[in-house]
Amino acid sequence: MMMNGLRLTATGSSIAAKSLHGNVVVVASRQVRSNAAVLERCTEIRNRNPRNLELMTIARKPKGYHLDKKGHEFWNKLFVRVSARHFEAEIVHYKHGPTITVSTRDWALKKQLYKTNDISAYSNVGRMLAQKCLEAGITSVYCDIDENSSQKFAAFIDEMKKGGIALEEPPQYTHAYPWDAKRMVKPWTLEN
Amino acid sequence: MAGRTLKFLAADTVSLMQVRYRRGPRGLMPHLARNLQQRIEEMEYKDPRLHYKVNIGFAVPKQINADIRKNLTKQMKVRRQDAEFEKKSARNELVIDLDEAKQDWTKTNGPQYLQKIGTHYGVFEHLFGDAYFYPVVPLNIDYDFGHKNLLARVHNGNLITPQEATDVPSVSYEAEPDTLWTLLLTTPDGNFSNPQSEYCHWFVGNIPGNDISKGEQLVNYMRPIAPKGIGYCRYIFVLYKQDKKIDFSEYKKDDPCINLVERNWNTYNFMKKYQDEITPAGLAFFQSVYDSSLKDFYHHTLGMEEPTFEYSFPEPYLNKQEWFPIRKPFNTYMDKYRDEKQIAKEFLLKRLKNEHPFKFPEPPLKYPNAHPFKGYLPSWYKTEVRKERLMMGRINEYVEGGYAKNIGGLVPREYPVWHKSHKKKSLLE
Repeated sequence: MMMNGLRLTATGSSIAAKSLHGNVVVVASRQVRSNAAVLERCTEIRNRNPRNLELMTIARKPKGYHLDKKGHEFWNKLFVRVSARHFEAEIVHYKHGPTITVSTRDWALKKQLYKTNDISAYSNVGRMLAQKCLEAGITSVYCDIDENSSQKFAAFIDEMKKGGIALEEPPQYTHAYPWDAKRMVKPWTLEN
Repeated sequence: MAGRTLKFLAADTVSLMQVRYRRGPRGLMPHLARNLQQRIEEMEYKDPRLHYKVNIGFAVPKQINADIRKNLTKQMKVRRQDAEFEKKSARNELVIDLDEAKQDWTKTNGPQYLQKIGTHYGVFEHLFGDAYFYPVVPLNIDYDFGHKNLLARVHNGNLITPQEATDVPSVSYEAEPDTLWTLLLTTPDGNFSNPQSEYCHWFVGNIPGNDISKGEQLVNYMRPIAPKGIGYCRYIFVLYKQDKKIDFSEYKKDDPCINLVERNWNTYNFMKKYQDEITPAGLAFFQSVYDSSLKDFYHHTLGMEEPTFEYSFPEPYLNKQEWFPIRKPFNTYMDKYRDEKQIAKEFLLKRLKNEHPFKFPEPPLKYPNAHPFKGYLPSWYKTEVRKERLMMGRINEYVEGGYAKNIGGLVPREYPVWHKSHKKKSLLE
């Protein structure tokens, strides 16, 4: 088949277009290449997942100024809010704000509790938050809550830990220059 | 100065190296400068007249009305009379049923929460552009990975390994039998041919009710294929409700479809074409990272090499080389401007010099820096040797996981396995 100096050769379901002069391959819109050929051409790949760099520990942690109040250096932080009747815990992302919130105001939790601010309420909020974190792919959070300050907080923190959440974030990976003395271990290269 | 720092912070990825041109405090005085939160807010600000989102999904039904609320309150009041329940609660022995709580919570706040987490993970942005939806139909997707009593369930961003997601998952949702649905599993991350494109991992159209097996399978299921080194990819299930039966024959692919280019997909274009007939109704997604089980899949099923990628960190910033670098150590200063390949070659030659093809490598020294230098050596050279012995500096670029040998401090990349027995022998002797 001749078409404007191009010869179209049908190979299976694909159509490959080749120039008659020289061996320059013109990629037609419907041309289907083999996986190996695609990989050979691929020199760069993009992972658009906005949380990927945080999971790989490459993403920046906002350090702020040295005069700023401490406690800003995190990707995800555990916050608690205590009111006269209720207890609320949430995971706050440094950019997107609160992402996961568990409160004794929620009917799902309130329904099964006796009181919304006793020690059982605290520990059950901890259990539910830990479960939700794992479901949302968060396994470690920054936490500056003093668990010795009250029995209730101790119960809450304990349940979070039991639920499989590490209350400490891994440090940010900083890439060393060739002349630097030390190099950080690349966490993503470690095999489990 | 502030302008440059802002740009630097705005980059999500580490693409620029920060360079200080002068010493001393930077920026405005503390009482005039904006704090970190203000700066982030300023950077994240988008004009609402231009950057607004459109809801393309179903309206969220109100689950708790006055009657239900009244009923729940009554139930709670009755339960509060129970003395045993009170004691249990005070002693921290009250353990609520999490499954029940989750069910209740899915009914009440589920769609809003899923929409929030989906936005946090950039799901709507990368699939639908400026559109979003509230996932009003809860999806239950389970992977059976051969464990006796465990299933890998897809929630909203949880981690599932490619090995766990090898087989077709079981999908269930609540639907009337006379309704039609479409299920799509796509990933917007790590496309080999076009970074803006997705891969379609599964496409079932015209599903009557919730029976996936009776639907029309257009693209067969393919397990996650997160390549080595690129990190965590999102795998997103979206359930669409159809108004009528749709002819999807243009998307029909061979079964099994192993060509990745054929699997290229664009949800935005798909949605644009069928926006009058379909409405997104359900969402579930997980994240997956490379594991060793993928090697076999790449080699034998996809018929390609196993791809490996390395995150590209920014090149170090270097000032223009000076003709007369005063007060700069000549060797380390010059090394910065030399060709990295030449330095690597020198390290390799040095290593090969101490290597013998048939002899065991010498065991490492216990106290590498306790050995004196023989004869005269210039001080800069002694420093270099000491650094190499302690595995400090450039040597780390060319020797991995090694330890310092007596001189040169270089060991082969892959230490022979038989070295262990050799070590034992020498100890016995």
